[in-house]
Amino acid sequence: MRELFKNLFNYRLRALIKKEFTEIRHDRRLIFTLIFPPVVQLMLLGFALSAAVSNLRLGEVDDSRTPESRELIAILTESKSFRLAGYYSSVTELGNAVSQSSVDAGMVVPYDYARDLARDRSTTVQFLLNAMNANTATIGQGYAEGAIQNYDSGLRQQGVHVRVQQIAGSDLVRRGQVQLQPAFLYNPGLVDSWFIVTGVLGLLLILNSSLVSSAAMVREREAGTIEQLLMSPATTSEIIIAKITPLFLLLFVMMFVSIGVLRLAFGVPFHGSVLLLLLGGALCILSGISVGTVIATFSKSAQQAQLTSFFVNPPLSSLSGALNPVEAMPKWLQPLTVLNPIHHFATIARGCTLKGSGFMELWPNFLGLTIFALVFVSLSIWRFRKQFS
Amino acid sequence: MRRIRAQARKELTQIIRDWRTLALALVLPLILLVLLSTALSLTVNELPIVVQDFDGSSASRNFIDTFRASITLHVAIWPVDKTAEEALASNTARAVLIIPFHFGRNMARGASSPVQFLVDASDANTAKLASGYASQITSAYNQQTAGGAEAGPVQAAMRLWFNPGLSAKKYYGPGIFVLGISMFPPLLAALAMAKEGEQKTILQVYVSSISAHEFLLGKILAFMDVALAECLVMSLFLFTYFGLGFAGDPTPVLVATVLYAFCVASFGTMVGATIPNQAAALQVVAFGGFLLVFLLSGLMFPVQNIPVGLRWISTFIWGRYYIEVVRDALLQGGGWPAVWYKVLIIGAIGALFYGIAWFGMRRMQVKA
Repeated sequence: MRELFKNLFNYRLRALIKKEFTEIRHDRRLIFTLIFPPVVQLMLLGFALSAAVSNLRLGEVDDSRTPESRELIAILTESKSFRLAGYYSSVTELGNAVSQSSVDAGMVVPYDYARDLARDRSTTVQFLLNAMNANTATIGQGYAEGAIQNYDSGLRQQGVHVRVQQIAGSDLVRRGQVQLQPAFLYNPGLVDSWFIVTGVLGLLLILNSSLVSSAAMVREREAGTIEQLLMSPATTSEIIIAKITPLFLLLFVMMFVSIGVLRLAFGVPFHGSVLLLLLGGALCILSGISVGTVIATFSKSAQQAQLTSFFVNPPLSSLSGALNPVEAMPKWLQPLTVLNPIHHFATIARGCTLKGSGFMELWPNFLGLTIFALVFVSLSIWRFRKQFS
Repeated sequence: MRRIRAQARKELTQIIRDWRTLALALVLPLILLVLLSTALSLTVNELPIVVQDFDGSSASRNFIDTFRASITLHVAIWPVDKTAEEALASNTARAVLIIPFHFGRNMARGASSPVQFLVDASDANTAKLASGYASQITSAYNQQTAGGAEAGPVQAAMRLWFNPGLSAKKYYGPGIFVLGISMFPPLLAALAMAKEGEQKTILQVYVSSISAHEFLLGKILAFMDVALAECLVMSLFLFTYFGLGFAGDPTPVLVATVLYAFCVASFGTMVGATIPNQAAALQVVAFGGFLLVFLLSGLMFPVQNIPVGLRWISTFIWGRYYIEVVRDALLQGGGWPAVWYKVLIIGAIGALFYGIAWFGMRRMQVKA
């Protein structure tokens, strides 16, 4: 390692780096494919992926047909959460509509609804939800219960002067009520895309850098020029560092552009330090490049390298917490995210942009990324030497 | 017909000879199925929250215990001398419940007492879930302390259909099942077809007596077998590990499965025929089979949430219809009236792919 640092900027290394730069300059397509697709992917994913639950189609069976029942329906459908999709004459018809997916939810108001309310008795409406998608169902259930509770407290206040006289005695032992006041920090407008794009940024960095670096490494091998390189007096680490440097700079430019997209197209706020974000990104790119290099040393052709990354990438990206919260994963998978660079970068990106966290809060993630990058860079140097023996 | 069978047999022999790739194509989807179906979920369990209890009375402890009893939240105590934001910034908790001073006294007096619930909304969806859970727990607590007498005049009886346990596995399992079939058989098909172009063995086909249709159908038949075998292996998993079963009439999904196998096999063959380069063909399949089916089919995020400018693309995503058919068969049980047109669309897209593949093969002949 000490020798490596001593030789870090000798003229051999500089010559090798120059060679790599010339190669990339000749490959205009690479520069284009590095900058353009990530921007498109970021836009596509950021706008297209949203777990928001709104405009659920609500089917109604109104057996009461009174102003009171219509008021309840109006209250449920006036919000953005539900929209009225149709009236059904019987519960069976509504059930069929739910199972054929022509409505997402259904409400059944009983025939004695208005009468019970007028008599000050409590009444029950039935609410059906298509719970196939657990997330939609949970949020939809919350909306419906909230709307009905609000409606309830409105009713209670209307009838208050009548009821106080009747039950004044029992009113004395009434217990206090807890009022929950939720406050949404860091993202008060509950913008869905902020979470997605900050995660996708890490995903793109790792996936693109591993793809590009494995392609660059394998190309040398396919052309058979790698033996010439090894014949030269340059050491393995020098060859690898020379290969990595220009790719690293290119990918850094790509990250810069992507961060610009986050800011301009999605309006992600930057409450923390941009410098810290760039540092995290640099570590992330380094990890990605070294993953790609390791993949390349295991493959004999570009096609094999691509096939391998085809199998490595889906688990890497889905077990990262980039698109969904880590807490939603099963317990036994959650510790694995510690090994995942995308997870660490996503936490850093969210901390630096939305939460305004500093190094004090984010150091475990920086440590994780650094260890990952170090391990994989050394592994790639070791494998590089080994692949010919 | 005999020539089609012969072509298919030749193709299958080649697939079986490369048994390592075949094993990969059969085993990897299983790994994906188990891994992703649980990892993709958006609904959280044991979400870590912390409580700052400024009151420390029996009433406040009682209130905290109601939160502790919930399986969706994992409650820890946060010391009073630290700020609440620290817990959120250091990622120790996703939400902070702050119980104010005099909480117990207010409750005993019958006055209403405000309780703050600070949610880390950097993930908007989880924030919505968390605040939903918290308000449900609070209203349960309110009803409990009021002795049930205060129950509102209108009660909602919630019925969750098709997946009452709100299990994410049952929803994503069928989706990943479709993703596996959309990824691996077309991958093999595209590689095999592109190889014919790359190694110029396609010339031998042109000089033989086999017609273009027979050649294509033979190839597609072979990769349909791969897709159906994959289907069989994965559905065994769906029926055992995922605890799913046919909810209604199984005929729509059986018909759709055969048509979908045809559709993905034609897709792979089409890619291989139009792009006679294995590496490039691989990338196109990765884009079409994985990225498009994964993102624009409603597998993870509902299609209705895609902005209108992009949503039209999902109309052409073959995986989307098959996902809907499979989910209908395994969860909803709507049967033919619900899905007949989706089955037709799968067939139509498959036919389109076949047409393009045929066209691509003719062009390849002109070039060769």
